[in-house]
Amino acid sequence: MLDIQERRPEMKESATSIASAAITIFLTGCIIIAHDVSTGFRQSLAALTGHHWISVSVVAIVLFVLSLVLLLGSKNARKSLKVYDIKLWSTALMAVTLIMILGILAVLIARYLAD
Amino acid sequence: MVYALTTGAILKGRIKKKSPGNVIKLHKRVGIYFGALILGSFIYGLWLRLENGESILASVHGKLGLIILLIGVLQVIPSLILKNRASYRILHKIMGYSLAPILIIDASWGLHNGVIAGTKNLVLFHSITGGLSALLLVWIIIEMLYPADRSLGRARIASYLTALLITAGCWIAGGYNYLTVYGSQVKPVILAGPHPWAHEVVMEAKEHIFVFLPIIAFALSITLFALDRDAFLGDAKSRRALTITACLALFMVLLMFLMGAVISNAGHTGAEA
Repeated sequence: MLDIQERRPEMKESATSIASAAITIFLTGCIIIAHDVSTGFRQSLAALTGHHWISVSVVAIVLFVLSLVLLLGSKNARKSLKVYDIKLWSTALMAVTLIMILGILAVLIARYLAD
Repeated sequence: MVYALTTGAILKGRIKKKSPGNVIKLHKRVGIYFGALILGSFIYGLWLRLENGESILASVHGKLGLIILLIGVLQVIPSLILKNRASYRILHKIMGYSLAPILIIDASWGLHNGVIAGTKNLVLFHSITGGLSALLLVWIIIEMLYPADRSLGRARIASYLTALLITAGCWIAGGYNYLTVYGSQVKPVILAGPHPWAHEVVMEAKEHIFVFLPIIAFALSITLFALDRDAFLGDAKSRRALTITACLALFMVLLMFLMGAVISNAGHTGAEA
């Protein structure tokens, strides 16, 4: 029991990046779906860097770094999000990624069939 | 290949296994099957080249295939003939480990050439780095499944290389190709061809879904970097969580390969139409 308590600070930090990845993929996935649905949003993303794909890539990097810094800096955020639980967050990362992949594919197939 | 490498590493003691069983027999059997597969692939390639009246050594894919066949023969035959294999063991090990990256490069090269006639160096680099990343992810998964004292260190190196290859080869090189070549040359051909959905659905999905992959690769690298060695060895939960993350990254790499093959094939069909 004591051993697990001692190890916890290391595990908190190690799960932080996986939690950040899950949050980033969720938000980036939502942005991708929104830009596929809304032409105006796609154009504003394209205006940001010159190409919508570069904008999405930049947004993903910024979100990952921001969420990582936020989680590493805030004990309360780590505690409320249960960031010490690496198993929970790796499962969440897998679930979020697969849901976002399916969501993006569904939107694109629907758009193609509608056209 | 992965099974042959894993059983070989178990025999060497690099990978610890609680109940080893008859690993040498398994390693031998897997080696024979793998050697047969290499021989079959080489004969098939040779037959295709001869049918077109071309020399097998005229292409890089053919040259690498020949090297793979020679290594395969040198791996299997002496192991079956020699009674005292102690002196041969180091060479066997070196050739075994070198076979994996050569095979990945050759398979990526062959896949690329097979799907799109006329090799573009940037796309080839993109495919090869993807293939090598897949191999490194398998390595990480094996280290997680069979933990030993030095597993964490090796997994860390593999994860840093994965992040580097995915970022430099897949993201930057692939993105540059997408922005400069694909949009102006390949996309119009696909849209005018019989499979416009390959761009409208598959490429549109690939270009965005891909962005998730470097994020997962970096998360895996940072996690392995931050993980304590004792926690890694003593906590099966952490290793299982890392295995899930590495499997997810591997799934993403394979999905990108599949999507890339569909898009390249549609481009090829569109150009013929």
